[in-house]
Amino acid sequence: MLEPDIKLTGLAEAARLIPNGARVHFGGMAVHNHPMAFVRQLLWEGTRDLTVVSHVSANDVDMLIGAGRVRRLEFSYVGLEEFGTAPCFRRAVQDGELELSEYSEPVAFERFACSARGMPFFTTREMFGTDLPSVNPDIREIDDPFGSGRYHAVRAAEPEWVVLHAAAGDRYGNVLFFPHRQLPEDLDLTASRTTRNLIVTVEQIVSHERVRESAYCNLIPRFRTTAIVEVPYGAHPCSCLHVYDQDRKHLAAYAMAARDPEGFRTHLARFVYGVRGHDEYLELIGATTLSRLRHVGGAL
Amino acid sequence: MSEPNASIHEVMAGVIARELRDRELWFLGMSTGPETILLLTRIPIVAMALAQRTHAPNSWMLVAGWVMNPDVSKAPTRMESEFGTGLGQWPAEAYNNSLAMSYVAARHEIDVGFGSAAQVDKYGNCNTVAIGDYSRPRVRLVGPINQPGHFSLFGREIIIIPHERRNFVDEVDFVSGAGYRGGPGGRERYGLRTGGPTMILTDKAVFRFAEDTKLATLASVHHGFSVDDIVRNTGFVHDYVPSTVPETPLPSNRELDLIRESIDPRRVMLPGR
Repeated sequence: MLEPDIKLTGLAEAARLIPNGARVHFGGMAVHNHPMAFVRQLLWEGTRDLTVVSHVSANDVDMLIGAGRVRRLEFSYVGLEEFGTAPCFRRAVQDGELELSEYSEPVAFERFACSARGMPFFTTREMFGTDLPSVNPDIREIDDPFGSGRYHAVRAAEPEWVVLHAAAGDRYGNVLFFPHRQLPEDLDLTASRTTRNLIVTVEQIVSHERVRESAYCNLIPRFRTTAIVEVPYGAHPCSCLHVYDQDRKHLAAYAMAARDPEGFRTHLARFVYGVRGHDEYLELIGATTLSRLRHVGGAL
Repeated sequence: MSEPNASIHEVMAGVIARELRDRELWFLGMSTGPETILLLTRIPIVAMALAQRTHAPNSWMLVAGWVMNPDVSKAPTRMESEFGTGLGQWPAEAYNNSLAMSYVAARHEIDVGFGSAAQVDKYGNCNTVAIGDYSRPRVRLVGPINQPGHFSLFGREIIIIPHERRNFVDEVDFVSGAGYRGGPGGRERYGLRTGGPTMILTDKAVFRFAEDTKLATLASVHHGFSVDDIVRNTGFVHDYVPSTVPETPLPSNRELDLIRESIDPRRVMLPGR
């Protein structure tokens, strides 16, 4: 049998697939499963003028905003959960430096499901009564042709690129998911079905035989994937659900540091520009810290 | 009168529990910051568990949209995230994919929600988006999150907010959760067919919305506070104090026993009592 394309590549090579000005979705939700190593690589590469299409974002998008790489943000939430508001996002919006398009959370989710269904828009009533339609021209009123009244029409997410972090996959780009999934993982699966420009970073590359043995868990089959990259602790300081928890100390330190532009620059200088690649980043974080975040029995 | 032995948090849980009915679906999203987690997450969870033990055995508690009817006596000590190991290891009757819960909400099947905001106004409109002008806000907040649907799709919304003057405004700077939008008929003008806030509950008082004007009105003051305390800490400028304001009913001895012995014996949910 002929061997299929090997999609396994390096972090820098994968990051360079994203052009300046691209419309990108970063997977994960709140402080879970964001492809943080990829985000740091994008910062390192200098990628700019991004439109980020998201739903519930945290430090992933906050860092890109703080570094001035985001032109437009389509979203429902940017914040650090228990660590409060996302400081760079807050500052950029207060300074009028970011174009915003915001939606309620389920609507932001449904925009991806709509893309996955191949439809250009969907209808909803849940933002009636709010000021969202008056500040977001992409929320438009339409009539139900069947006579049930007025609705808001909302456009599908339509990302040009989707970047996800997951637990495991093979060199051909198959990606395994846990049987017990939480919302951030299900949202990632939906997002994976919105484009074939899909980059997945994984904790571990496993053998192709292993994937065939876990065929029920192969929920991103390789025909969808453009590139797959092995990045252990690739979501740090966010969690990789079922594998390790979010690094609460690191997130708290980030929230504190990024409260002023100088502190944010210092954070970037240390954790992004001050390291050559992900391995050096992990050395900087330290084995003790990382091992304490890990779950027992979390492996697939 | 003898000093009641119920804490403010137990009083608040009792108030909420008496708002809840049997055969209802109750939806609680998670919040951020330790004080908000206590007010908006822990107290409603205790209240829902209390109602299930006193009068609502067929109700259904949705925590973070996916942990259903959890065993509150085994609650995790940390509830700082909607996902991850904390909630994921909480014994419950069901864990469901919370994406499906968006559809349950869209079908208007959820009866009661709990919400908070940086600002609430005299008509119960809420703001989690921006303080000041939207395009150049004085303070940018996290975003609408799930608040729009709480106020448009759910049967009724209980607003829980720390009682600080700046949280109560005449008119919110941005409506992310629609209250009565200008008074009687306001919701209908915005295409809303059902729902809306029924109560603003704070750590000092209860406000309800007047039937005729839809204006927030002081309904009761918690034990230990006076009407003057409320006025000093409330930024509303409309006349919201009726001629007589009762004390908020205290939880009964049975309710207190249930909270302390059955619902929260480890004092994880209401640590300060």
